[in-house]
Amino acid sequence: MHHQEDEPSAVGRFIDRLEENAIALMLGIMVILTFVNVIRRYVFNASLIWSLEVVLMLFAWMVLLGISYGIKKNTHLGVDALTNVLPKGPRKGVLIVSALICVVYAVLLMKGAYDYWAPFAGLDVTSGRWFPTGFIETRSRAFMETDQVPMPFFLNFLADLINDGDSYSKLPDFVPYTMLPFACALILLRFVQAFIKVLRGTQHTMIVSHEAEEAIEDLTATHKQGT
Amino acid sequence: MDVVLLFVLIVGMLMIGVPIAVSLGLSSMLFLLMFSDTSLASIAASLFQAMAGHYTLLAIPFFILASSFMSTGGVAARIIRFSIACVGHLRGGLAIAGVLACMIFAALSGSSPATVVAIGSIVIAAMVKVGYTKDFAAGVICNAGTLGILIPPSIVMVVYASATDVSVGRMFLAGVLPGILAGTMLMITIYVMARIKNLPKGEWQGWGEIFESFRDAFWGLMLIIIIMVGIYGIPGLTGAIFTPTEAAAVASVYAFFVATFIYRDMGPLKTIDGQRNLTLLDRPIALVTAFFHRDTFATLFDAGKLTVMLMFIIANALILKHVLTDEQIPQHIADAMLAAGLGPVMFLVMVNIILLIGGQFMEPSGLIVIVAPLVFPIAIELGIDPIHLGIIMVVNMEIGMITPPVGLNLFVTSGVAQMPMMAVVRAALPFLAVLFVFLIIVTYVPFISTWLPTLMMGPEIIVK
Amino acid sequence: ACDDGEVVIKFSHVTNTDKHPKGIAASLLEQRVNDEMQGKACMEVFPNSTLYKDEQVLEAILQGDVQLGAPSLSLFESFTKQYRLFDLPFMFKNINAVDAFQTSEAGEAMKGVMAKRGLQGLQFWHNGMKQISANKPLLMPSDAAGLKFRVQPSDVLVAQMQALDASPQPMAFAEVYGALQTGVVDGQENTWSNIYGQKFFEVQDGITETNHGIIDYMVVASVDWLDSLDADVREQFLTILEEVTVERNADSTKVNEEAKQAILDAGGTVRELTPEQRTAWVEAMKPVWAQFEGDVGAENIAAAQEINAQN
Ligand code: NA
Ligand code: NA
Repeated sequence: MHHQEDEPSAVGRFIDRLEENAIALMLGIMVILTFVNVIRRYVFNASLIWSLEVVLMLFAWMVLLGISYGIKKNTHLGVDALTNVLPKGPRKGVLIVSALICVVYAVLLMKGAYDYWAPFAGLDVTSGRWFPTGFIETRSRAFMETDQVPMPFFLNFLADLINDGDSYSKLPDFVPYTMLPFACALILLRFVQAFIKVLRGTQHTMIVSHEAEEAIEDLTATHKQGT
Repeated sequence: MDVVLLFVLIVGMLMIGVPIAVSLGLSSMLFLLMFSDTSLASIAASLFQAMAGHYTLLAIPFFILASSFMSTGGVAARIIRFSIACVGHLRGGLAIAGVLACMIFAALSGSSPATVVAIGSIVIAAMVKVGYTKDFAAGVICNAGTLGILIPPSIVMVVYASATDVSVGRMFLAGVLPGILAGTMLMITIYVMARIKNLPKGEWQGWGEIFESFRDAFWGLMLIIIIMVGIYGIPGLTGAIFTPTEAAAVASVYAFFVATFIYRDMGPLKTIDGQRNLTLLDRPIALVTAFFHRDTFATLFDAGKLTVMLMFIIANALILKHVLTDEQIPQHIADAMLAAGLGPVMFLVMVNIILLIGGQFMEPSGLIVIVAPLVFPIAIELGIDPIHLGIIMVVNMEIGMITPPVGLNLFVTSGVAQMPMMAVVRAALPFLAVLFVFLIIVTYVPFISTWLPTLMMGPEIIVK
Repeated sequence: ACDDGEVVIKFSHVTNTDKHPKGIAASLLEQRVNDEMQGKACMEVFPNSTLYKDEQVLEAILQGDVQLGAPSLSLFESFTKQYRLFDLPFMFKNINAVDAFQTSEAGEAMKGVMAKRGLQGLQFWHNGMKQISANKPLLMPSDAAGLKFRVQPSDVLVAQMQALDASPQPMAFAEVYGALQTGVVDGQENTWSNIYGQKFFEVQDGITETNHGIIDYMVVASVDWLDSLDADVREQFLTILEEVTVERNADSTKVNEEAKQAILDAGGTVRELTPEQRTAWVEAMKPVWAQFEGDVGAENIAAAQEINAQN
């Protein structure tokens, strides 16, 4: 039906590859860590006590990072039965509204992600219930540690940076949680870009389209490869 | 009343083409900001914990990955060959073989759309070639593919187990008999239709071909054994070796090895079509390069991408669930239903209706995350077996997958068969009737679901 | 539901409401607060991990999204290492000694140690003394060597299992029954009420009555929330909480005895240790103390031993 009109630039393609490799690598490490732990337990009667926690962390990272990639590539599921039968004018109106809704979602999520993460970094959370209106002095939560993940020596500088010099015996929660505001910022960026494309008329849906021929071909190719 | 507003918001956003995940997430946030004291930070926490805090859900990326290696690595094609050798000579044989192949692949794969793609992309074209109509072929595979989530392993069962804290191992066992029953019902229906319409039949290729094709498919089929023995052990011989989640990871690693080093239809030992693939002896360095080969990365990435698509929805469904719980809505619904004197029979009818309607709009895993906490406490209170409830939910999800507007199987079938969605919907209709009959049987004969898990693992421990 | 103007106290926990010691105590607290603090405060209990798991509830309390939680003492590692005292094997002779320590000066002081990190300990709630079980008879500590035991993710418990030459395996509580049944792990340690409630006895050879440790919970709230309450509301609430604690803790021995009896009635095997066997277990596990003395404080260990001598 419609082709994405702007060809990705060299930088765009580079970032695509970067995101794709990051997703593949994280999944690969998750599988290998889990597999190795099974072998260690069954064959050697031992266990890597931190491996489960690291795998769960990577799982969260992979999905969070993948969401913004999915927005960029328009792979998220939705219902287009109704919008497809609308005449052209109203259809565009509805599309703009739906793109705007996505941006609102990302803005609220961004505030939530920052407010959740900030105390773990020893920073203040934002005031305001819906939108940030300033900062409130917040009790630091930088001392909170993961259950079992050892502290890698090269992160020891974090103790001085965020934890008033108190050294860590386990990896601080700050590290895994940092993906949250980072990924939410990317989600916001991608939704804003999509919204702009919608306004310009170069993007015609916010979801993977069920009727667009090439989308089907795309997905079939993916499924032949994957799933 | 507030709750009605919440659901109106969700459906409204879905209707205008907002992604499912965003519809669920934003509605929850708006509801929370308007009606409670809870902060946006708790929403972000839910989003992160949806993955980091749910050990069982880890099975999703792993099962998806195993299935990716299986279909990329030529396992599906070998299973089809074996199925045709077994039943291809019957009237309507190729269609029946397609169902059998879907059943076998379902025992390797945790997902329905994956099953449709793996089997459908080969069988539908083959059926058209020998004289079936494309509609008939697409309808058969679209339906049989739904067995992907009923025959274990199953992503939807994993999600149900995670939402209700029942045992994943039990759920998997519970799916075996219903899965075989549903498959058999489909095959009988096709056979009857084939006799009436005089559909094509294949040649009997002899026991040699059955043996030969089995030997060829053996390494793929071994995965079923690995998963089952690994999760349940062999009585008297070995205990179980891993949890269901770990089973999924082991399955991925095994599938990778089979695809790369035994079948060699992907990775460094693959050659251009028509030529004999290389062996490890030809290129021993492949033992190292296979891990970094672009086929390996591509498969990992595709599985990752699909995981993200599912988990984005599931995570936002979990946000909605968090908000509903925070407002104590499951409790109010349970109290109201029990006060109304609802019995088990009417309750199950209601569950079926809710899920069938919900299944029209939602992706199955997301729907289970939302509905399971609402109905689970009531079911326990009414003395319904949680495993039985789980199977009922799974069968409803199967139906949801082949009904518009959101039907993942319709979507991928229209892709692999190269036909419009609405044509697939019509093609799937006669077999949908079979699934409906099956749903009624499963709902009112709990024995089919609970017999095997009770036999192997003792009576259910979550009871009133 | 809560009326306008009432202080809303959300209490998130992970057990059922009517069988588990913590669940029963939480239900009683809910009932009394809602009856006696009409117009001032109201309590909503979220059981069965429906809102938060114990691993997440402390964050949620600091965040202000719930007000009360009662996680197991193993889960406060980020806030203080002092509570490791309660995980140390054979630190307390019996539940009465635990009780006496917790209500002593040393125990009262422990409630306040997290204040600088924003949490205030309010009351200790008992589950009970831990027993050990496996898929083979455990009479001497050497019987446990080479076996895989599911433990809570705590350094002390890991060290304790290593002291037995056993292999500690972290695992989600919900997975334990299936893992024991199928043999993914060989054994576990828990209180009678948990072993009965989760039916672990069905899938184990037997339970050895070691009383080697305790599972206790700390009812906590955030310092900021407590400070935000009117003095009379805070006073009344804390008084009710203390009364509920005294009442339920006194009953915990009975709950566990009943659970033990129920296990026997259901055909489970319970093994008692001879004094010699018991000494062997103590000798095998006690070296762990030295490893954590710095964390828990030598004075706390001394206080605990003094109380043991009196009880
Ligand atoms: Na399956
Ligand atoms: Na549907």
